[in-house]
Amino acid sequence: MAKVILGSWRDDVTDNRGLKKSAIPEAFKGLKEFESGNDILAFMGWDGFFLFDRDAPVVDMARAYVEKAQEESCGYCTPCRVGTKVVAEKLAALADGHGRREDIDAIRSMAAVIRDASMCELGHTSMTALLKMMELAPEAFEEAVAGRAPVKRGNYRAMATAPCIEACPAHLDIPEYVDAIRSGNYYESLAIIGRKNPLAGVCGRVCVRPCEFVCRREELDEAISIKHLKRFVNDQIVSYVSARSKPLEEIPSASGKKAAIIGAGPCGLTAAFYLKRKGHEVHIFEDLREPGGMSAVGIPDYRLPRDVISSEVRRISEIGVKFHYGKRLGRDLSLSQLETEYDSVLISVGAHGSKSVGMEGEDANSEGYVAGVTFLRDLNLLHHIGEFKPPEGTRVVVVGGGNVAMDCARSAVRLGYSKVSVVYRRTQKEMPADHEEIEGAMEEGVEFLFLTHPVRIDAEAGKVKGITCVKMDLGEPDASGRRRPVEVKGSDFFIECDIVIPAIGQSSDFSFLSDGSGIETTKWGTIAVDDNTMMTGRDRVFAGGDCVSGPAALIDAMGHGLRVAHCMDQRMRGEKMSMPEAERMFRLLKTMSLPQAPVNRLGNKARCRLEMRPARERTSDFVEIERGLKPDEAIREAERCLRCYRIALFATEE
Amino acid sequence: MTTIIETKKKVRLEIDGKTVLAPEGATILEAARAVGVRIPTLCYHEALSPIGSCRVCVVEVEGVDRPATACNTQALDGMRVATRSERLFNLRREVIRMILAHHPLNCSPCPKNGDCELQDIAYEYDLAPNDFGSYSIKTEEYPWKEFSTPILDYHPRRCVLCGRCVKVCKEIRGLGAITMAGPGALASIQPALADPESPSRCVSCGECMRVCPVNAIEERMGGGKGKPWETEKTATTCAYCGVGCSLELNVVNGKVVGVTTDDATGVNKGRLCSKGRFGYAFIHSGERLSKPLIRNEKGELEETTWTKALTRVAREFRRSIAEHGPDSIAGLSSARCTNEENYLFQRFIRQAIGSNNVDHCARL
Repeated sequence: MAKVILGSWRDDVTDNRGLKKSAIPEAFKGLKEFESGNDILAFMGWDGFFLFDRDAPVVDMARAYVEKAQEESCGYCTPCRVGTKVVAEKLAALADGHGRREDIDAIRSMAAVIRDASMCELGHTSMTALLKMMELAPEAFEEAVAGRAPVKRGNYRAMATAPCIEACPAHLDIPEYVDAIRSGNYYESLAIIGRKNPLAGVCGRVCVRPCEFVCRREELDEAISIKHLKRFVNDQIVSYVSARSKPLEEIPSASGKKAAIIGAGPCGLTAAFYLKRKGHEVHIFEDLREPGGMSAVGIPDYRLPRDVISSEVRRISEIGVKFHYGKRLGRDLSLSQLETEYDSVLISVGAHGSKSVGMEGEDANSEGYVAGVTFLRDLNLLHHIGEFKPPEGTRVVVVGGGNVAMDCARSAVRLGYSKVSVVYRRTQKEMPADHEEIEGAMEEGVEFLFLTHPVRIDAEAGKVKGITCVKMDLGEPDASGRRRPVEVKGSDFFIECDIVIPAIGQSSDFSFLSDGSGIETTKWGTIAVDDNTMMTGRDRVFAGGDCVSGPAALIDAMGHGLRVAHCMDQRMRGEKMSMPEAERMFRLLKTMSLPQAPVNRLGNKARCRLEMRPARERTSDFVEIERGLKPDEAIREAERCLRCYRIALFATEE
Repeated sequence: MTTIIETKKKVRLEIDGKTVLAPEGATILEAARAVGVRIPTLCYHEALSPIGSCRVCVVEVEGVDRPATACNTQALDGMRVATRSERLFNLRREVIRMILAHHPLNCSPCPKNGDCELQDIAYEYDLAPNDFGSYSIKTEEYPWKEFSTPILDYHPRRCVLCGRCVKVCKEIRGLGAITMAGPGALASIQPALADPESPSRCVSCGECMRVCPVNAIEERMGGGKGKPWETEKTATTCAYCGVGCSLELNVVNGKVVGVTTDDATGVNKGRLCSKGRFGYAFIHSGERLSKPLIRNEKGELEETTWTKALTRVAREFRRSIAEHGPDSIAGLSSARCTNEENYLFQRFIRQAIGSNNVDHCARL
């Protein structure tokens, strides 16, 4: 636990130097070391600073902070571009011991201009901590003026971040690529996304967009449409490049090392992309006959057309990643065989099994009982080639309230079932599915039975005849913060139906793991990995994606792919494995969970609405229902970004 | 008589105590100009969408702590705006000082001297070279690099990074060939990252040069262009094609040294293509055909009169028609002629000569 000696956040001052002030001691739980054995001495952020050590190098830290701000300044507006340079040079002079008395005043007045006149949040926030430090610890700056004590130098870890970047599991530089769209540089924008995300077209369609939920524009009017902007820029460039159909250049395997990846899902593809770019030979083994994992077989075509995935995978294979389809670990391949042939192995097999609801009479073999993931997989693999045989019947009940449940229900509508109902035990407000999905399903005529819990499947001669449910009531909030549903006694009722599709959760199949393999699984049915390196208990064998996190979003798996590729690369090069420094800083910031300052700006620009195909037209086929943004809409949307860039800096012992 | 129906909603706001009725969607700057309130600007250009990079046009809006830029902030109903205060004066002055901190201050050798928007605003805010002592920054020397094209030169030290050139290339030319790229004080205008196969989209139209407030983008042709006060401007029409763009020939001592345009004039409203803007060197070329010539028996061109030359042409046409028929004659016209001239030309070939063999160079 890091105890604050002196600090301020949003003008809330904590001062524990001596007994001069009787401020409440404040401390950060879980914050002490930057990495093991390396203590954090101080933190400088966008709304203030904290000194955890009496010897924290105040002046030099301020210099490092402003230098970072200058480095991150895009150069667009004058105060941030020039002002931070002037302040950084003056602080450097102070730290070097040849600063002058008047420099301190100049820094103070210049800092105020940068804060008040800059264009974006980087300029608005980059001087806050410095000004507060000059106010609360003026002696440090006075002493630095030439002729007094030499200035202490320190070690720093600094980065530019933003709420959306922090929320994104892959930490995409969202304001930067949005900015490139604003200036019309689509190619550059896609290149920025491509630094971390090889599946921009997929993410731009189906990402659960944690970034948009923390968008600070929401305070002014509405969050910006980050997802749609990503799709826009991808589709612009893809249609442009594919029109000329020149393949990408293959990247040579210069390292001489080979990596095997099991599973061509979002995690495996992302990891493959980065390992290839690091110069390794990469082979992906995939059970199915096509790539994409859950993004291909778990999401119906009306949300994510299959040619989007195939064009992104084509780009990954063009750079030299080798794909081997129809290969399943445990059936066609063994872990020990892979270990001898490859320098490192990544297990990213996903979670393709279905969890049962726990209803009475729930029998996977009953006719008319189809697990959600199985239903979607068969539909996705077979429907476009005309070989899909939908379960027989006319009435469908889907159990669950997530995106998979919505996908099942809306697909069922498209397959022509006469009535499709969704049974969910809480209310619409608690549903984890995207509200667009819920509203889309409602428009398409899906019936929603909220506060309803299925208790029994009624079958006759192995064939589903209906489902018995009870009504629920919301009680006290549970650990997730959602109110726990409580059964209303005696409220049982029967729904007649021919097909029941449970879609309440997924699980992984680890039958390929033998005893003594050294790979442990957790009580949640996932593979246990070292949190730092993502390596399993077995050397050179890594794991990531849904089979580690449990069923999660596409972008979570991609974030895993990035992190695991970083450590696989280190392991293959014989370097010490460690979490990327940025990842460590993002985690520390999360631990600190600093309160957010309100956005003090003018708004009044609503977000662009996407045009959808009308419900009547779209329910008869699986053609994509959302139209992308048009160029003028995309530029207008990009202009709404507040660019909430901010600098975070940790002063560390080493 | 036409009746203009005002369909746009109006917003009512107050600027420096004056009530303004502005159309919905107007910016504070537009609203202020409509009632004669002057807000200083530098990066703003009327032909372009607001840029908001220089921060000179900051104003105070009641209820918001941070000053807003008038050029790109929407005027809203009930807003109370102050464009003048000590705080704003200081902010603007400091911002201009920052802009000047890495701009060369020896104005006299600069061809823009006397016609420079930066000079004007520095003068307005009473800034002199000795005001920059505490702002001097160590910007590294930029490499002197070719700016995409053999016609245009870019001077990063002169550049104030207003961003007009980037906007004009995107919005007026529709190319997006250039972009502004950092980091920080080292930011400069650079070719935009196009796709790898076409590294530059620039067509050397010089629109960027036209909107540049400080001569950071300069044409490479000629040199010694004279100072604005010794330049005589002659309004004329571009002779290169039938569009008929208006332009001004800049004449110093009887010699054309450059082409400028007026943003409000003509069909082109200040815009020009590469030929119209830079293709003036031929005017003083010694190679230029200025008198009629006839080839003599020895095969040499000899000076003659228009009557002799045209008589000869007519005689030869007649001879060719008599001996080989009208189809032995074909006409090829030029894009440098006007529509009317081209019309007359094809009428001449079809009716006077009697041939349908007529074409135009722009179709080739």
